Order: sequence, then structure tokens, then C-alpha cells
Amino acid sequence: MNNEINISAHSDPNADLWHKFKSGDAQAFGELAQVHYRALYNYATKFSSDTEFIRDCIQELYLELWERRSFLSETAFVKSYLLKALRHKLIKESVRLKRFKEHNELSFDAAEADLSVESLIIENEHLKHQIKRLNQIVSHLTKRQQEIIYLRFYQNLENEDIAQIMSLGRQSVANLLYRTIKEIKNIWMPAEFFWGLILISFC
Amino acid sequence: MIDYRNYSVEEFATDKKFRQWVLDPSGESILFWKDWLSQNPEQHITVNQAVALVLSIHERYKDDLSEERIQSEIDALVEIAECRKNKNRISFVTNPLLRIAAVITLISGLSYLYYGNQFSKKTEKSSSFYLVEKRNDSSLDMTVLLSDGSVATLKTRSSLKFPSKFSGDTRKVVLTGEAFFDITKNPSKPFLVFANETVTKVLGTSFRVKAPEGANTVMVFVKTGKVSVYPKREYETLSDRDDHEVSGVILHPNQQVIFNKKENRLEKGIVANPDLLSESATHQDLIFDDQPVADVLTTLEKMYGITIVFDKEMLSQCPITTSFKEENLKQRMNAICQAIGANYEVIDGRIILNSKGCNH
Repeated sequence: MNNEINISAHSDPNADLWHKFKSGDAQAFGELAQVHYRALYNYATKFSSDTEFIRDCIQELYLELWERRSFLSETAFVKSYLLKALRHKLIKESVRLKRFKEHNELSFDAAEADLSVESLIIENEHLKHQIKRLNQIVSHLTKRQQEIIYLRFYQNLENEDIAQIMSLGRQSVANLLYRTIKEIKNIWMPAEFFWGLILISFC
Repeated sequence: MIDYRNYSVEEFATDKKFRQWVLDPSGESILFWKDWLSQNPEQHITVNQAVALVLSIHERYKDDLSEERIQSEIDALVEIAECRKNKNRISFVTNPLLRIAAVITLISGLSYLYYGNQFSKKTEKSSSFYLVEKRNDSSLDMTVLLSDGSVATLKTRSSLKFPSKFSGDTRKVVLTGEAFFDITKNPSKPFLVFANETVTKVLGTSFRVKAPEGANTVMVFVKTGKVSVYPKREYETLSDRDDHEVSGVILHPNQQVIFNKKENRLEKGIVANPDLLSESATHQDLIFDDQPVADVLTTLEKMYGITIVFDKEMLSQCPITTSFKEENLKQRMNAICQAIGANYEVIDGRIILNSKGCNH
């Protein structure tokens, strides 16, 4: 049941494309792979800064789908399935290649981008500061909290998908997300008495 | 229509329509939200917070991957997929049983090579090796690997006849059309190209022979080393003597000779078009920066349309850094082998790479 919902919501392939892929059409395969390529790449950069390594992992992930195409169901190209498979592969490969000696296990660890307010192409000064402040708050969260925030608000995935990707129970995800958002709000909101005065003028 | 009036910050921040407005505003969405906000002024704070949340998370986690880069990755995927489909290969990575099978095949291949060599020494005289003919009917250059490690690059509509394994005290091939040769040095076994009433003799060098079918002229261009060219008649009458150089013409690098069949005459000159001295279009620059040697080999396979047999598993941990410019296939293979402490041989038109792996 859930899978059916997933198919209609996330796995963009139309029936024709899927059919072509199954019958060994490499172009159709390329089209399917393109749909979530950026999402996969983006997620991988949170685990490794080695873009060649990431490229190889994604390529291998997709080629494995290609080689097993006759056994696959459409869920194989659902975003959350791909993200989970990639997460698994990144960790496995990095252990195999011993690339990350300092870590026992690869973890969600976005490079600390020091957000310069100046780089934002937003004219609203207040909004700029809000963004910077939020960024600071998020950077102080635990890695698991950061990953859950990322999956929810960057990749815009449902709790169910997040549970699958992070190998957590659905309830644990709901709890962790609730706690994290509350934590952010507690630090963020008190200072925001003046918010009502700000007009939305950023766009 | 979705009722946004009771939406929380999280709900706004995960709503598709809302996110589209914040991250990629279009005329329609700007209009919609401006209108909605004017009707729901009490929601300004919530909306502002949701905007800040979406933008902040986006700024924090966005990537700089270009659309061109994605397209080139997808193109590569499609190409590999196409290639694997044709070869009907099954992934070695995912199936441990097949991985073992691959290793066994490689070992048996190597032992065949070893015993095959022993065998060939005994049966050399009976010359049981069959003659192979390669014909290039495609519009692209074709790379032909010979058993001594020499490489011939066949032009379109050209063909080359050669023994599956060279035996005896010469290496003889018969060319129709045009080819570039890069010959492995072996002074005790001269390499002979028979082409349209001419014989080109070399000990180890690179050169091009142009002998179009039915044409009256044969041209030989030399890139490196020293080459002797003879009219076939002369070569055969002289073949019992040791001194062949008498009737032939000796060519040095950047020299060429044109053989006129009617007059049975050889005319020496300088190569006017240096392009003729390159193997083919395979001279594009290649840069590999700390890449697995397997990737480098795969690139060469594709580039030359040849098969390189190697143990993917064993070489997966050997990154190499190299750049190729003018080198030909042999020089490139040598460079790779030197870098990872391996060696290679040519068997049945395929390159077999022998490596014990490497530990970095």
C-alpha cells in the first residue's frame, strides 16, 4: 500500500519509460537515472567531499540497477530507495577503500560552510540575519538531528521515507524530528518579537 | 485548493507549492502568495519563519553541481549500459560467486598462456597457427593487436592478414588499404608488411603504409626508427641473400616513399602531412588524476575498441595519476604497467594484464 503511494508521489517514470527500461533501452535508463541524480549527489556530499568517489558510487549504484533490470519493480527508482541504497554504498565503499581512517563509520557531516550573509542574493537584511542565525542553530545540532532536518527540509521527504533511509522506526523519526524542531524554535523564536513588522519583500 | 490558514512553520516549509515560491519563484506563484498574505495578515510571522527555514536549509546544504556535469554523467551511464548490454555481462561486484568465477577464468587464462607458450615452442616448425584476417568495414579506425604486442591501426575499408601467432624467423603480415603500425622491437625477427607489390621491413618502429586496393602507388611514412622498403619482386629475388638493403630504400623518421607500380620504382621524400604519422584520432589528451587504474583501462578499451583483460577487484585499489598526449596504445599500456608494477601480453587480439595488485 505504501509502496503504491510512493510510486505515484516520487517515482516519476511513466509507464512507457519503465517498459523501455525493462526491455533494455539504455536511453530510457539514462532518463530514469537523471530524475534523482542531483538529489543523490547532494546527499552523498554530506558524507564525503571526494567528488570522484561520489561519482563512482552513484554510477555503480545505477549500473547495478541496470544489470538487475529484469528483476526490478518500479520502486527501485523511488527517491528514498535510491538515497538509502546510496547511503549504504557510501559507507560500505569507504570502509573497503579505507578512505576515512579517522572515522570508524561514515556519518552525515556537512562541511561547515560558514554562511556569509553577503553571498545571499536577498535584499531583505532582516531575512539575511534570520537565515544566518538558523544556520548557526542547525550547526550545533547532533549529526543525526542534522541529517533528519536535511532529509525533511532539503530533500523534502516524508517521515516514512526518512525512517527507511536512516534505518530507524517511524515513531523514532517522528519523535526525533519533533524534538529537533522544538529545539530550534526555542533558541530561535524568543528573539523574534519584531517579526510581525517585517514585510515579505525578498522576492 | 489547499487551506493554508492553519498551517504551521513545518507544514509550510515542506509544502511543494510554498517551496517552489521560495526557491524558484515564478510570476504565478508570486501572485498567489502575495494575494494570500494580504488576505491572511495574521500568518505573516509563520510564513516569514518558514521562508527563513527553507532558505537557510537550502543555503546550508545546496550543491554546486552543474547541469552539464549531470548530463555528462548520464551520458556516461548510458554508454556503459549500452556496452554491458551488448556484452551481456553480469555484475561482478554484486555476486560473489561470479567474482570467484572471474578469478578462476583469469588464472586458467594465464596458465594457458604459460603452457601455450611451451606448446608453441615445440610446434613452431609445423606452424599450426591459423591465419587471421581483420577487415575494417566501419568508418572509424580499427585497432588490431598482434601476438608480438605490435599494434596496427586499420583505416576504413582496409584489411590485414596475420598469423594468430608469429612463428618462424620473420613476422609477416599482408595489408590491403592503409594502416599505421607500431611494431614491437625484435631484431632477430624482422617485421614484414606485404602491401601491393611492396615489402616493408622493420625491426621495431612505427610507420604508416598506404596501399589502396587497385591503386598504382604504395606509400610508406615513417614516424620513428628505421624502415626498409622494397619492390616485392626485388625482395623475393634477394631473399636468399643477407644484404637486402641494396635494392630497397631506407627510410628515417619523417621520411616517406612512394612506390610506383608501373615503373617498379621507389621515390623518396619528406612527409608533408604530419597527421599521417599519428595513430588516429586516439591522440586526444587524457588526464587521470588519482583515478582507479581500472577506469583508465576501461577508457583505453573504449577508445581503441579493444578488450583488456584484468582483475577488476585486484586493481580497484590502485589509483594512478597520469596524463596522455602523444603516446600510442603501446606506450600508454607500458606507462600504466610501470606505474602499478604489472606487465601485459597480447593473446588472441586481447591485452591480458598480469598484476599482483598494489597496496597504497
